Amino acid sequence: MLEGRLVRLRATEPADRERVHSWVNDPEVTRYFTMRYPAAADDWVWLVDGPPNGFGFVRLAIETKAGLHIGAVNLYQTNAEDSSAGLGIIIGEKDAWSKGYGADAVVTLLRFAFGEMNLHRIWLRTLEYNERAQACYRKCGFQEEARLRQDVYRHGRYHDLVVMGILRDEFEALHGAAYVEGGGDA
Amino acid sequence: MLEGTLVRLRALEPEDLDREFTWINDREVTRFLSMRYPTSRAAEERWLRDRPANDFANGLFLAIETRDGVHIGNVNLMEVNPEDRKAGLGIMIGDKQYWANGYGADAIVTVLRFGFGEMNLNRIWLNVFEFNERAQACYKKCGFVEEGRQRQHYYGQGRYWDVVVMGVLRDEFDALHGVEAGL
Repeated sequence: MLEGRLVRLRATEPADRERVHSWVNDPEVTRYFTMRYPAAADDWVWLVDGPPNGFGFVRLAIETKAGLHIGAVNLYQTNAEDSSAGLGIIIGEKDAWSKGYGADAVVTLLRFAFGEMNLHRIWLRTLEYNERAQACYRKCGFQEEARLRQDVYRHGRYHDLVVMGILRDEFEALHGAAYVEGGGDA
Repeated sequence: MLEGTLVRLRALEPEDLDREFTWINDREVTRFLSMRYPTSRAAEERWLRDRPANDFANGLFLAIETRDGVHIGNVNLMEVNPEDRKAGLGIMIGDKQYWANGYGADAIVTVLRFGFGEMNLNRIWLNVFEFNERAQACYKKCGFVEEGRQRQHYYGQGRYWDVVVMGVLRDEFDALHGVEAGL
């Protein structure tokens, strides 16, 4: 269990399946992702179930401090030599948007990635029109590194994909030491 | 292929079986290693065949060849841990006529340079029996520091022996040998 300021991150459970199923079938949610197709309950089961969390893949449920399961966050394509990983996040409960939960979840996971997994770099990719997310990532310390032109086709046209990254030093300059005894002030 | 000064390190091949089989059944060689039991050619063949490819998760198992192409032993990095960025080192010079000629040290420095410079490790450790003084001298020359002694940790030749634990850190290796080589 990773404690943030507004959220906690816990391991996903099979019982989370139904909630996730509703998120990935909500076009208002999925418009920001590359999830295009109507999905069966088992299609996105990897978001909640699979091998135990480890260096190769981390998948966590985002819960408010009151215990409401609002989204998921994960690290993927973890590379041991390059000490890097990609970050993905979904806030599936729309009522929870724009309340700071996303930034808190991201910073909490970054603290784990740098302070416990000993990673050097975290990157992410986001659609150009997901401006709320980009503002959130910038607040967390991510910088735009590349713009893959017309990389994704959705909603009838091509869109750029924005690549952002954050290095360990940059995280610590902004948020303080990655490892903080008893959890940090995200 | 990893290039050293006296040796090069390459992946093991099925053709290495005969040499491997001879060395691991030679008690004069294996008394310095943790292999005790006579091993069949079939078992060794199976081990060679089933070995996964060299990579970060599985570690490295490499043949040591002289510059003339003679396969004289093996060196390996094992128990590679991505969070702790560490690995264990093992080495065997199976062909006894090549002992005490600097081949071991050259193989070690070459694989350490790979571990630090390509695998991005921070620490490499090893265990060595207290009676293997030649190896301990070799490891120290390569930059290893004695860190501890596990008392009576090994039983062989009729009695208990201490196991010496040694380690080298990236900064130490870099100061001694340089990590950024061959860019």
